[in-house]
Amino acid sequence: MFETRSRSAKIVLQVLVTLMVLPFLFPLVVMVQGSLAGIGWGNYEAVLSRPELPLFFRNSALISIATILLVYACTMLAAFAFSKLHIRGKEVYFWLILAALTLPEVILLTPLFSTTLQLGLYNTYWSVILPLAALQIPFTVLLTRSFMNGIPDGLIEAARIDGANTLRAFWHIVLPLTRPIAAAIIVLTFIGAWNNFLLPLVFLQSPDTQTITLLPTFFIGQFNNDQTKVLAAAVVTALPIVIAYLLLQRLFERGLAAGAIK
Amino acid sequence: MFTSHTRARTTLRSLAVIAATGLAAATLAGCAPSADAGDGGAADSGTVDWWGWTPEQNVATEYISAFNEEYPDITVNFRQLTIDGYEAALRPALASNVGPDLFNVAPGAQFVQFSTYATDLTASVEESLGSDWSDQLAPIGVAGLSDEDGNLRAIPTGSTFAGPVWINQGLFDQYGLTPPTTMDEWVEVCEQFRANDVGCFVQGASQTAFDQDTIQAIADTINPGLFTKATIGEAEWTDPDLVTAFATWQRMFDDGIMQEGALGIQQYPDANNAFMSQEYAMVMMGTWYMQFTRPANMVAAIEAAGVAPAEPFTMVPIPFPAAEAGGTPGAMFGDANYGLAVNAKSPDRNAATTFATWLGTSLEGQQIVANALNDIPSAVEISPEFEGIELVAPEIQQPKLEELIERAATVTDNRLLPNSDLADAIGVAATTLAAGDVTPEEAVETLQASAEASGVTFE
Amino acid sequence: MEDNVVMNAPTLPSKRREVEAGSRSESTSKRRRLMPSGYLWILPAMVLCVGIIYYSVGYTGYISTLEWDGSSPVQRSVGADNYAQLFRDPIFWQAIRNTAVFFVITFAVQTALGILFAAILHSNVRLKVVYKVIIFVPVVLAPSIMAPSFRQIFGANGQLNQVLEAVGLDFLAHPWLADSATALPTLMLITVWHWTGLTFILYFAAMGQVEPEVLEAARIDGAGNLRTLWSIVLPSVRGTTIAILMLSIIGALKTFDIPYLITLGGPNYSTEFLGTYIYRQSIPLANVGYGAALSIILLVLALAFAITVNVRSQRKES
Repeated sequence: MFETRSRSAKIVLQVLVTLMVLPFLFPLVVMVQGSLAGIGWGNYEAVLSRPELPLFFRNSALISIATILLVYACTMLAAFAFSKLHIRGKEVYFWLILAALTLPEVILLTPLFSTTLQLGLYNTYWSVILPLAALQIPFTVLLTRSFMNGIPDGLIEAARIDGANTLRAFWHIVLPLTRPIAAAIIVLTFIGAWNNFLLPLVFLQSPDTQTITLLPTFFIGQFNNDQTKVLAAAVVTALPIVIAYLLLQRLFERGLAAGAIK
Repeated sequence: MFTSHTRARTTLRSLAVIAATGLAAATLAGCAPSADAGDGGAADSGTVDWWGWTPEQNVATEYISAFNEEYPDITVNFRQLTIDGYEAALRPALASNVGPDLFNVAPGAQFVQFSTYATDLTASVEESLGSDWSDQLAPIGVAGLSDEDGNLRAIPTGSTFAGPVWINQGLFDQYGLTPPTTMDEWVEVCEQFRANDVGCFVQGASQTAFDQDTIQAIADTINPGLFTKATIGEAEWTDPDLVTAFATWQRMFDDGIMQEGALGIQQYPDANNAFMSQEYAMVMMGTWYMQFTRPANMVAAIEAAGVAPAEPFTMVPIPFPAAEAGGTPGAMFGDANYGLAVNAKSPDRNAATTFATWLGTSLEGQQIVANALNDIPSAVEISPEFEGIELVAPEIQQPKLEELIERAATVTDNRLLPNSDLADAIGVAATTLAAGDVTPEEAVETLQASAEASGVTFE
Repeated sequence: MEDNVVMNAPTLPSKRREVEAGSRSESTSKRRRLMPSGYLWILPAMVLCVGIIYYSVGYTGYISTLEWDGSSPVQRSVGADNYAQLFRDPIFWQAIRNTAVFFVITFAVQTALGILFAAILHSNVRLKVVYKVIIFVPVVLAPSIMAPSFRQIFGANGQLNQVLEAVGLDFLAHPWLADSATALPTLMLITVWHWTGLTFILYFAAMGQVEPEVLEAARIDGAGNLRTLWSIVLPSVRGTTIAILMLSIIGALKTFDIPYLITLGGPNYSTEFLGTYIYRQSIPLANVGYGAALSIILLVLALAFAITVNVRSQRKES
């Protein structure tokens, strides 16, 4: 984006971004220091040696993967239709979806609870996956729709003139072009699903279905609150998402040009 | 592009979609199966799911294994939730038909909300202890867990009391200071500590429940019991003695007893950690702090505060310093820490009742509660077996703890309020005074009005 | 292909927009007839969102007409009383004011920082991955975990004051969260820290759509870095900005975690938000009916603002 032809311009840009990033780094340093306070690495040992950890990890992974798949599929289909296809009263439907985003989670708990109970989903992973997806989709449809608006209609029309039907145009032209936003959706949905605390707390009763967000609660009692281990647990919990981001981040950069060539 | 005709059709179509989906959900919700209460199952076998924010997992395991020696066929599964998430999780679970069989309930507002889901346990307790059962259990615990008709809806296992201030004896000794008995002495002590670069008193004033403890303790040194009377409408908040109490609370901020920035921190974990890491010499905590006179607990608490290596220090409770010379220090107030309530919809009610009754009334169960030094047991004749309990400094601490437990037995004033709007209003008075936004007179005027609005009827 | 022409033509930004706008309006009617129907495509998303959430909306609307503690069998119907009470409630208005100030400032700062970081990290700098991770990690961390650390950082003896003292700015040292005047700005700072990673990611993805040829063309015309950013990059990520704007409005109205966990809405309601107030009324104070009425107001406000933004942005486009 920014052009840095001269050496000094390069240095200026590098220094600028370093200064800008320092305030972001500062709380992270305090946090990692906190997780190493007291008995140091012993905090991490205490967290990693919780017998529930592998189970919680697996449960969170299952919930996250299912939520991501559901959100990705629904979002891509809906955003494509909202952006490129003909729907009479498009905006009305769009707002119907977006309105689902506006109620606070704590207000949703009781009605969601009775819904999941009636559908026979209470205490199953679906009782967490479906609401998580439903709460994420408005957000991702909104983003993806605006991203797809940036894809020239001509590309799709050209494909259709060449004889491809809508589905094929979607599959072979739109999906490859939307990789950057798809990466963003996957990361954001992963964060939402992996970090959610209230839904598993309320909808998953049995201890062997609990998720990784309940890990810190082992270190918080009524009159004990071991912040060092809570922070260590937070670092451990955050790692999978950071790794996922690093793995996906190449996709963020694949722009229009890269996709159009395919 | 649109004609009004097509627009109307679009709107209609969208409405139809909403109506269809909404209807489906509503129909599903409408035909909720009615609670099948059944006969409550066997009293000596079954599986009991128990939810609570306390005790700690390891203490619960201790309770359950002792219980299983007597009742091997009852399996008790304890699920510990955080105190913040507890009500959110419990409320829908109790509304459903698949909630826990046994659940913790705190006296005060939580009891008001959740006791309607609980069975009447009076008969079970009477069966276990005899007709004079109410003389054998601490009255303060029973009172807070009985409904308006006097039925016991949850069995108290133990109580916690506030009122004392805990001090770091080591820091007082190091600087040759004597624990204060009046506010004036307290100001003096704090100046000394500050001169030595040591924090004096720490309070997490943004958590207003703990502010209420401090204000009630101040008020009790001026006119014992008046605060409690005001909470139930037997005295007005504008009473001159209460004005003095709120003025004294404000003075604690103005005269440097409170640490700087008290309004920005919370009692847990912030103030607790500051005291445990010996940055401050005094903190307002109740009888639950007794557990930290045990070295293992204290080392864990110090490490949790981020200090290494953790050296346990001697801490003791002192009576809250009197607001005015010649006051009456030493009052305490409290409630059952929690009661065990049996879910009226549970198919295993009888087994759940067996466990609750055992923990709350049997000598074995109550002795374990006593020895943990977290709660003061409900059964009046039980006290901690100090000969088997290791303390950091037994010769200094044990007499103080015994005195504290003895005084707790006679307490009649409550700490938790059943009216959460009133508790909120007291919190507003506390924080507006602390910020210096109002005078004590203005604060009590507002508080009196809020109390009336919250449904307290004044005589 | 007509788009290739646009792509390769070394036009100035204003000209380019004209070309696009022209081609759009000319072909709108023709295209509508050509476009296949999209109903089936949106069905899965509609079923999920409307099916799962709309019962909750209806239920909340119903509860908002009750006086109820959320668990007792006694429910008293009070009609619109909860709504009438709400408009007389000074804390509600305080929450609205806080929310408005909070939204304007956090949105502006987050967006500006997100764009800057995205533009810089699309440029030629070293160690990109390190910067990206540092900006991204705060998004991942749950505020519940970070709250005590932030109270420590901004406390009277906290790390921020230590830094200020170390650089000779002692006079600025202050118990940031204990003072009604500084608590809200401090929370805004924390919010910006928490969410900038999100705007960054979205802008970073959107900037991938800007054709290098257009940038090149602007440079040949003599536009500098900032001018290029302002006149070429910003217009082409406009859709993302609108989306972020709508999400920020909804997000600000729902703001809960950060203020509740760090300051409990205090001191003295100076950091009370609609989201925290709904929680306080619904759970600790058990005024479930009143909490539901507040939620419905939130829903109405959020939709009204979001629709306004959307309609205005579309009008501007056409």
